Amino acid sequence: MQTALFGDYLSPPASKLETPVCSTTGFSSDYSQVNKGEALAYVAGEWLVLMPEKALYWPRMRTLFAADVHVGKGTAFRAQGVALPEGSTDHSLARLSTCIEAKQAQLLVLLGDFLHNKDATRSSIQAKLASWRAQHAALSILLIRGNHDLKSGDPHQALNIDCVNEGEVCTPFVLNHHPQPSSAGYALAGHVHPAVRLTGRAGESVRLPCFWFGADVGLLPSFGAFTGSHVIKPKRGDHVFAVADDEVVALHGKA
Amino acid sequence: MPPSIAKWFETNGWQPFAFQHEVWDAYLTGESGLIHCATGSGKTLAAWFGPVIEWLNENPSFNSAETGRSKGCKPLKIGHLKPPHDAPPLTVLWITPMRALAADTVDSMQKPITQLGLPWTVGLRTGDTSTAMRAKQNKRMPSALVTTPESLCLMLSQRDAEVTLSTVRCVVVDEWHELLGTKRGVQVELALARLRHWNPRLRVWGLSATLGNLEQARDVLLAGKSGRMVAGVQNKRVVIDTLIPANTYKFPWAGHLGLVMVEVVAAQLDACFDMTRTDAGTALVFTNTRSQAEIWYQALLEIRPMWAGELALHHGSLDKSVRQYVEDGLKSGVLRAVVATSSLDLGVDFSPVGRVLQIGSPKGVARLLQRAGRSGHAPGQVSRISCVPSHAFEFIEAAAARAAANARQIESRRLIDAPLDVLVQHLVTLALGDGFIPVDVYPEIKTAYAYRNLTPAQWQWALDFITRGGDALQAYPEYKKVVIDAGIYVVRDTTIARRHRMNVGTIVSDAMMEVRYANAARLGYVEESFIARLKIGDAFTFAGRTLALTRIKDMTAYVKPAAANKKTVPTWGGGKMPLSSELAAAVRKILQDFKTNKAQEPEITAISRMLVAQQRISRIPDSAELLIEQFESKEGHHIFMFPFAGRHVHTGLAALLSYRLSLVQPATFSMSVNDYGLELLSVTPFTLNRLLLDSIFSATNLLDDVLKSINAAELSKRHFREVARVAGLVFQGFPGASKTNKQVQASSGLIYDVFAQWDEKNPLLAQSTREVLERELEFARLTEAMARIKTQRLTLIRCEKPTPFAFPLMLERLREKLSSEKLADRVQRMQMVWDD
Repeated sequence: MQTALFGDYLSPPASKLETPVCSTTGFSSDYSQVNKGEALAYVAGEWLVLMPEKALYWPRMRTLFAADVHVGKGTAFRAQGVALPEGSTDHSLARLSTCIEAKQAQLLVLLGDFLHNKDATRSSIQAKLASWRAQHAALSILLIRGNHDLKSGDPHQALNIDCVNEGEVCTPFVLNHHPQPSSAGYALAGHVHPAVRLTGRAGESVRLPCFWFGADVGLLPSFGAFTGSHVIKPKRGDHVFAVADDEVVALHGKA
Repeated sequence: MPPSIAKWFETNGWQPFAFQHEVWDAYLTGESGLIHCATGSGKTLAAWFGPVIEWLNENPSFNSAETGRSKGCKPLKIGHLKPPHDAPPLTVLWITPMRALAADTVDSMQKPITQLGLPWTVGLRTGDTSTAMRAKQNKRMPSALVTTPESLCLMLSQRDAEVTLSTVRCVVVDEWHELLGTKRGVQVELALARLRHWNPRLRVWGLSATLGNLEQARDVLLAGKSGRMVAGVQNKRVVIDTLIPANTYKFPWAGHLGLVMVEVVAAQLDACFDMTRTDAGTALVFTNTRSQAEIWYQALLEIRPMWAGELALHHGSLDKSVRQYVEDGLKSGVLRAVVATSSLDLGVDFSPVGRVLQIGSPKGVARLLQRAGRSGHAPGQVSRISCVPSHAFEFIEAAAARAAANARQIESRRLIDAPLDVLVQHLVTLALGDGFIPVDVYPEIKTAYAYRNLTPAQWQWALDFITRGGDALQAYPEYKKVVIDAGIYVVRDTTIARRHRMNVGTIVSDAMMEVRYANAARLGYVEESFIARLKIGDAFTFAGRTLALTRIKDMTAYVKPAAANKKTVPTWGGGKMPLSSELAAAVRKILQDFKTNKAQEPEITAISRMLVAQQRISRIPDSAELLIEQFESKEGHHIFMFPFAGRHVHTGLAALLSYRLSLVQPATFSMSVNDYGLELLSVTPFTLNRLLLDSIFSATNLLDDVLKSINAAELSKRHFREVARVAGLVFQGFPGASKTNKQVQASSGLIYDVFAQWDEKNPLLAQSTREVLERELEFARLTEAMARIKTQRLTLIRCEKPTPFAFPLMLERLREKLSSEKLADRVQRMQMVWDD
């Protein structure tokens, strides 16, 4: 069964969204891209790797996706008189580096809200960004401008990040920030910071960040270390993958 | 006593009480003090006339019996008064914990001033005071100002606060028992420290209901200095009885609504609605929660529809205008009865209230006495309160409450020690005013009782926190909350200043949504989380009406009247109150008396069937034993224990015991608690033997084990909301206010995570954990309970079916779980809900 699926990957069907097949084990022997804790989703005819770091990897195109990094959010808070410790920006960038290196990605697509606001253009943050960029000099980076990026302005030219508006087509996907469907393909987006609420017996309840694939739009969890989340209401037929600590888990809905 | 005052009393046909004389004399000799007594017994005049008499002595032209006689007792026309610029400067600050009380206090202070023909002015300054009025006051303060702790703090944050406030000679803190042991109380302590710094001869008088630790209450208020303790009128008789239905055969063993008693209650209230009886007075029906008040209001109207218009509802979520209408209606007698929560507990004078009922357990002796004090409010009359049990155990609680009240076993307030969040807020407040110099302010802060043990290290951390954004190791150039300008700590940024002023205070409420009709009449507020669960068109009960949700916009829920049968009642936040330790002890005593056939109370007779059944199936514990019951069901293996120590203690105990049991043998426990005992439910059976019981009740490593067992991090994170709000890390904003500064809004949970990950030694995290232990688990009481259990015999009984004691625990819905499984494994087991 797994071999057959693997064969499908080599010649993906054209339909928009097949039933995603997910597994966290079994592929690693002959498919070096999938590691423990990761899940596979079959979306719009493409295999996607969902990473517990809250990034998404598209092996065929060697492309890594991350949404809503919100670099400089802690700085923005401090500038407004909220005494928060620094660490979240470093942590977010370090995690991005881990993902890039683990997958040997050639392209990083940031699905909007990379910079939190104008405070991210302060020299302390710029220095962090510059040194992070230098570690991945060969990597191409594409930023889909989100609502925060429109206010903060594009990252400094020296960072060598290409910036485009929403709607960039990358067949079979359309790259957005806001979760809007597109006639040009299956939309990948962020913005919502999706989380899912799970309930068990005896009042047990947890809330976890998640990947959420609907009929026309797939949402990534927010990548930034200092970002909140919004509980989603998935529709029947949607596919939801929760990020539970170091493992991405496919969820099954309650009838 | 000055002749004009004597004349005033005489004209009104009154005589000053001895304790009032005592307070006035003490005040005139420069003393401070605490006045304690039941409500409505002349406390206000005792505190108010001290400064008035002093002024009369200093202004003899106003001080003659003639003044009183020539004017009579008729209110003076404005023309008779001297122009207001002759009014004395701000002399008396009157601090009240409730805005609702403030207007009434102004009235009762103004009345004698008018009748005496004095040029004093009495003003009001709370969150409801208009900007125009505040501006007018800033130009010229009234001679006496009634205000709240929050508004006082805001006054401290103004430029030239010292000029405005240093003329104050006397501060009166009303309802001090309500503030003591709370962060608001600590805020008052800090404000008083500042006022004393400006005027070392400041006199401070507190008014308090009876407390178990009055001496301490006085020490905190007077910052440890000596002062007078004055007992008010003490001979007030209080009668506590219970409404006992004719047939207690089917009385429920559990539940909390108590609607089985609605006919009995209505029959009691009939007299108050009977217009042919002029002596009956009005009635107050107290409930413990807002939703219970809503339900009881509806239930009473259902069986007595003709009471519509004369029966009203009063709770803290209703709009101010609605509450005002109810309070006025009570005073005028238009309303015959009101179903109310603790929103009507405090001092507003509604006499004559003829009948006071308490639905469900009052959970504390002091609260019961205070509610009883609402009836027979005038001096010398008998106060009576009737308890209305909602389940069988509350008969025992009612009898226990009476015994404890008679024995004067009144609850104490536990104090808070050096809360750093309040200190941080206060320091920013001072920096907003004229700024401060740390070496000057440190000794001043240390005079506040709560901070008497503040260490230099804590002080330095607080200074670093407001100036650098962290401790000495961190420095963030972008952080400029408080800046140091030539050694003076000041706030320069106007945005920061404005936001701080908007968020001064320590009261933390859930995000509230306005509820209003489409034509804009506002009904009140409910928690956002409740509205979020409703769909458009759903019906719910609020403000005594059945409403349908029509739309939600800008934190406002628009509603229209509905006649739907299917409706829900909002449940407001705030946990259930635990039984106080005094009341818990009295309950244990009653059970002991029952065993020895000494219990003669009618309440005990009424539920003797239940007690006898418990005795037959299992056992009623005497005071020297801990009863443990074991019982098997389809659900699993149940262990019940009955320490009778209150809900919070049992929560901690249940977590602790299941944690320790799971160390012996791996297991997952479901827990359930109430005020009487706890239940541990597991799939695997446990053989409870002496050795095992001794080890799980061991006092060794108690704190450590409790912290491990309760998932302290999770609780502390939840509680961090309050700390973060007080310390200025999150902003509360106001209902209906547009969401500005979205880019600096983050949930306190998120901020907790940021601290936990990158500044785990931040003292605010430790404070949050400490407050969880103190408030949610009452760790001190837990320790006492463990010590008591150590001395008790453990009686283990295997039962075939749930006993009357165990049954209510099985019905408790909210089960806490203790689990050691990995998150991903739990997720596999749990489910999400499709939205369709």
